[in-house]
Amino acid sequence: MSIAPSLALGLPLGLGLAGAIAATMMKRGVAQAGAAVAALAFLLYLLAAPGVTETTDLRFGFWSVPSLGVVGGLRLDGLSLVFVLLITGIGALVLLYASRYLKGDTRLPRLVTLLLIFMVAMLGAVTADDVVTLFVFWELTSLASFFLVAYDHEKPGARKAALQALLVTGGGGLALLAGLILVAMAAGTTSLSGIIAAREAVLAHPAAIPAMLLVVLGCFTKSAQFPFQFWLPNAMAAPTPVSAYLHSATMVKLGIYLLARLNPVYQHEAFWQELLTTAGLLTTAVGAIYALRESDLKRVLAWTTVTALGSLTMLIGLAPALSATAAVTFLLVHALYKAALFLVAGIVDHETGTRDAAALGGLRRAMPLTALAAVLAALSMAGLPPFVGFVAKEIIYEAKLATGGAAGLFASIGFLVNAAMVAIAGLLSWRLFFGPLRPTPATPHDPPKSMLAGPILLAGLGLLAGAAPSLVGAWLVDGAVAAMLGAPAAVPLKLWHGFTPVLALSAATIALGLLLLLAWGRLMPRLRRASAFDRFDTARLYDRALAGLVAWAEGTTRLVQHGSLRGYMQVLLLVAALGPLAVLVARGGLDLPEAAPLDFRALAFLPIALGAIAAAVARGTLAAVMATGLVGFGTALVFLTFGAPDVALTQFTVEVLLIVILATVLIRLPVRARDVRTGRQRTVDAAVAGALGLSVALVLLAVLAAPFDPRLGEWFGAESVPGGHGRNVVNVILVDFRALDTLGEIAVLAIAAFSVIALLRASGRGARVGS
Amino acid sequence: MDASLILRVSAPLLLWVPAIVSLYLLIRGHNEPGGGFVGGLVASAGLVFFVISRGRQAALRVMRVPPAGWCGIGLLLAAGSGLLAWIDPAAGYLTHRWWFPDVGFKVPLGTALLFDVGVYLTVIGTITAMVFALVDED
Amino acid sequence: MRQILLVAPILIPLAACAITALLWQRPEVQRRIGVAAAALLFLSTLALLAEVVTGGMVVGQMGNWPAPFGITLVVDPLSAAMLVITGLMALAVAVYAMGPGAAERDRAGFQPLFHALVMGVAGAFSTGDLFNLYVWFEVMLIASFGLLVLDRTREQLDGGLRYVMLNLVGTTFFLLAVGLVYGLTGTLNLADLARVAPQVENQGALAAAAVLLLISFGAKAAVFPLFNWLPAAYHTASMPVAAIFAALLTKVGVYAIIRVFTLVFAHDQALFGPIIGVVAMLTMVVGVLGAAAHYDVRRILSFHIISQIGYMLVGVALMTPLALAGAVLYIVHHIVVKANLFLVAGAMQKVGGSFALAKLGGLWATRPLLGLMFLIPALSLAGIPPLSGFWGKLVVIRSGFEAEAWLLASVALAVGLLTLYSMVKIWNEAFWKAAPAEAAAHQPAPGEWGRMQRFATFAPIVALCAVTLTIGLWTEPFAAFSLAAAEALLDREAYIAAVLGTAPVQLAEAVR
Repeated sequence: MSIAPSLALGLPLGLGLAGAIAATMMKRGVAQAGAAVAALAFLLYLLAAPGVTETTDLRFGFWSVPSLGVVGGLRLDGLSLVFVLLITGIGALVLLYASRYLKGDTRLPRLVTLLLIFMVAMLGAVTADDVVTLFVFWELTSLASFFLVAYDHEKPGARKAALQALLVTGGGGLALLAGLILVAMAAGTTSLSGIIAAREAVLAHPAAIPAMLLVVLGCFTKSAQFPFQFWLPNAMAAPTPVSAYLHSATMVKLGIYLLARLNPVYQHEAFWQELLTTAGLLTTAVGAIYALRESDLKRVLAWTTVTALGSLTMLIGLAPALSATAAVTFLLVHALYKAALFLVAGIVDHETGTRDAAALGGLRRAMPLTALAAVLAALSMAGLPPFVGFVAKEIIYEAKLATGGAAGLFASIGFLVNAAMVAIAGLLSWRLFFGPLRPTPATPHDPPKSMLAGPILLAGLGLLAGAAPSLVGAWLVDGAVAAMLGAPAAVPLKLWHGFTPVLALSAATIALGLLLLLAWGRLMPRLRRASAFDRFDTARLYDRALAGLVAWAEGTTRLVQHGSLRGYMQVLLLVAALGPLAVLVARGGLDLPEAAPLDFRALAFLPIALGAIAAAVARGTLAAVMATGLVGFGTALVFLTFGAPDVALTQFTVEVLLIVILATVLIRLPVRARDVRTGRQRTVDAAVAGALGLSVALVLLAVLAAPFDPRLGEWFGAESVPGGHGRNVVNVILVDFRALDTLGEIAVLAIAAFSVIALLRASGRGARVGS
Repeated sequence: MDASLILRVSAPLLLWVPAIVSLYLLIRGHNEPGGGFVGGLVASAGLVFFVISRGRQAALRVMRVPPAGWCGIGLLLAAGSGLLAWIDPAAGYLTHRWWFPDVGFKVPLGTALLFDVGVYLTVIGTITAMVFALVDED
Repeated sequence: MRQILLVAPILIPLAACAITALLWQRPEVQRRIGVAAAALLFLSTLALLAEVVTGGMVVGQMGNWPAPFGITLVVDPLSAAMLVITGLMALAVAVYAMGPGAAERDRAGFQPLFHALVMGVAGAFSTGDLFNLYVWFEVMLIASFGLLVLDRTREQLDGGLRYVMLNLVGTTFFLLAVGLVYGLTGTLNLADLARVAPQVENQGALAAAAVLLLISFGAKAAVFPLFNWLPAAYHTASMPVAAIFAALLTKVGVYAIIRVFTLVFAHDQALFGPIIGVVAMLTMVVGVLGAAAHYDVRRILSFHIISQIGYMLVGVALMTPLALAGAVLYIVHHIVVKANLFLVAGAMQKVGGSFALAKLGGLWATRPLLGLMFLIPALSLAGIPPLSGFWGKLVVIRSGFEAEAWLLASVALAVGLLTLYSMVKIWNEAFWKAAPAEAAAHQPAPGEWGRMQRFATFAPIVALCAVTLTIGLWTEPFAAFSLAAAEALLDREAYIAAVLGTAPVQLAEAVR
């Protein structure tokens, strides 16, 4: 029996959120309280664990948007269980550690709030049974990471690293979103379990491959796979507890989680397998090489994390069931030892004042307990018996050897990478804590219990789990493997496999690793100096892309928003000239009305033409204004001759006003009085205006060629007296039939008056001018 | 002796004659050429003369309410004339109501006229506001 | 009651405009009336929305003259939503405008112009008549010009000139297009146009007129390549003015495109869909590039308006129920968020002393709450879940995929990343970076930042943040409503019947 799903799935999220809010208001003990919240969540999941087996899960309705087809819901199965226990367990230890590590830092409450928000986001992401919900939490983890990386946000480097992490994971997030939408469309549901059940439909969709690629892209950025690995070491700008928690144990595994989660859908696709194994293998190699180039403890650890993430990706991509078992086991083991090592690195940094591996040594006597934790964790990392690391590595080798064709390649690259990991494990334990003591900025000693608890417990768990791997297998791994494969198919975990080729390979690995460790002091500086690695670092691509983007943006903006009103106007007029004309011609709408005999009324158009020409040739602004005024008066004349005296009168008045106002503005405001355009510019302007005139004329002719439906005018005429009680149809239209238009127009008048009052008010005497 | 004196003396005349003409135009507008807009323009013409000859302060005294206020009242009147539509709550806004009181002959009184008065006042307010703003400070 | 509620969104600001104009010399009284009117407007729009949701489309024939002869006001779900958001924005900005600088603004005539602008917007959202729409465009244009140059600084006059020139020409094209459409159809009523348009013989000429309409609406909506007026002017306006502009002005253009092209020219979607799609894409990209290129908070925000207009147009380009729902959701979200960002920018300037990123800094350490209030709208704008912008983006992209408009959807996605970049740029510089010396020295003038001012500044910001969070976390009602609004937009028959009655043809015949 296990506890109710609401308690197991809902409560931890609620607790975390409440804790995050409470943390902003607390003054003391905030990190301890946060640790308690995480521990409580851990306990809840632990209590729920019996209900989660290879074939059973817990479900909880949550956050649906039915109108958009988002079903929502949380689900705890074997795979999720592994993750939630890691997230909450390591979270509790890290928060406890932070309480001491950042003691006295006024930003601690904010850090705890962010860590708890992050925890909630992670828990939500790995328990979401809905791709949209999953994505929501996924992005929240990126965001939390952004804020946590830039903990020291006044340092430009920290801001840059935070932005880099956000853009890389955020960009991948967009790809993921697109992929998930496509997958959900293909499956006909946003439910993850529904998508897995609708495997056939997902694979049969025409966009199945792009969808898969997009999802994989999202996972790769999140889990720092080549070529996106560069953001992870830079994220080490964050304080060590954050690095231990987000950037090694949990967040970077979210991509791995989703790959594992969707593996039942794609596992038999050759493309999926090739993609994951190739990228994974490359990533392990890149991580191993770059790890050997660093001496900053945290960056070394970050690169080894990249290697580990590559291994996990590769294992998911490998077809045999064995590799799924290996992946889950290694996931657990890595989280335990890597978090421990990060915390150790933090202790060393905290106590000695440096985290340069080359400058450290012989700390064993000064900090024996720290040394113990480091050695335990390093042994697990190196993959020596009896630690789980050994078990995991054995399985990885087995899985690789079982892949057939490419087994040699996989095994040999894996061999070299593992040797590098052995060397680095040695670096972090043997070299740091044994041998001669080297002087450090501060006098080192073991930190208080709250800081030691994490590393010792995590490293110790590695020991325990390694001693009884079958127990771990039955309890955690099998359920997760079942979720990864879509069916229970676990391979039993054993510590001792007998004398097999794999064992020999392990022994050789360790031997080579020890050689590398001995040579590290000389190897590291050489590798670091080898500029080829910098040249081919994909971080450069990122930098170049970002710089290029900004340059492109600036160039485009200068081009488009150049600041010249004349240019803007040309664009507007040209678009208005060419757009309608193009459509008219393309649609075959060109048409001419039947020619009507000219009568004297045509003369009314004369002032319009004259005004237009005068405006075009006028050199002074004022003259141009007057000339356009002539156009207006001509228009009024047309109204008059065509029997609309009211409209004509209005037009006259408006023109007078317009000219008066424009002239006044020209006099009062510093506007260029003379036309300073060159002859060429004037020609261009004339051409633009001419094009517009031609276009409008052609459209107008086509309109006039069509028969006109006069029912509105006829109705107005018929209704004016009986309905509107007035013989002046124009007036009845204005005050009755279309009175709302008139209301709007007099409002325009009033507003124009207000604007003029506002614009021409005397400074400080606005009230008087208004009054 | 200059033109401004003539203007000053004749200003009241030039103010009130157009005002009366404008009222006539306003009232007959529903049936003959005219209406609030033209009426307002004619009335403003008188006020413009007055401002030019007597200055802003004098014009303000005559107008009592500043131009922006005329605009406000005009807008309120025009918009308000439509409210009587809701004698019948189902009627559309701006449904004008008519009464034909019999004083020997039937006088057509409608809210449409009220609307036109609103137009008239707004036009006056607008034009005087602009003229006030444009003439130099006194 | 329905008839009163229908006109109230126009009449309340009209009355406020007129009354505050009457009280020109009494700014304090004006201010109170202004806020009260905005509150009343908001309540009335809520009541109207409730009426539309419960009783269906609200239609009113002005003057009781039958359509299509008089002017018809029509409020369908989309209009109702736009009106509610207009009311909300009016209230938020009216309160905000009581903050720092209120005295100077109100003496200059802010209140009458502000309410006139709101009236124009409300009219545009309510009308069912093409010419009447033009009238409301004019009201908005003149009022916005007055508001823009209220402070009469050199840069305002410069920006105001560009603004008014380009917009005047754009609006003139609108009038020209109205004339052309009337010449071809003999009617101005949108429902009647929808009925008649497919039967027009010269569809080429009608399409040309439609393109001209699209150009004038597009200029108003600030789409590529007609958006130049916006970045030329918006950054010069005072913050309350910029906020209401950002919230409403361009959206009226978008609304007009949605309304006219779903209703009147839907029969020619094969032509206009791709045109609008390409325009949407270019608008998204060029807008966001402008935001990425600038280092002044107001300019960055201004270019984002343009970019996001592109998202809204995707709905019209695709014209599926989901795409239109996305457009509705996006518009509602965007208005709230964008206005709020301008309000926050005003507060940032108040406490940080500048709009220039180079001169800002250290605000996260000194003003964490302001930081939070920036983050909510900023991240929402960038489409970060679970804020409101995410859902808009989700629906837009999904509808793009469903319509197999791969390029359009991809561009919309990619633009999201650049949006995030430029928002983070503001965040990094203004909030995270150590305060430069001049910013550290800046202190708001004493007396200008009292309790009243703080309330006026932050109450609207907090309220709009709450709306953003509500849409983000409790999405279902908003999504359901958007879908209903989209369905209503696509149900042309229902719209025509509601406006013209069930037998419009007979009605027209009977008149003859």
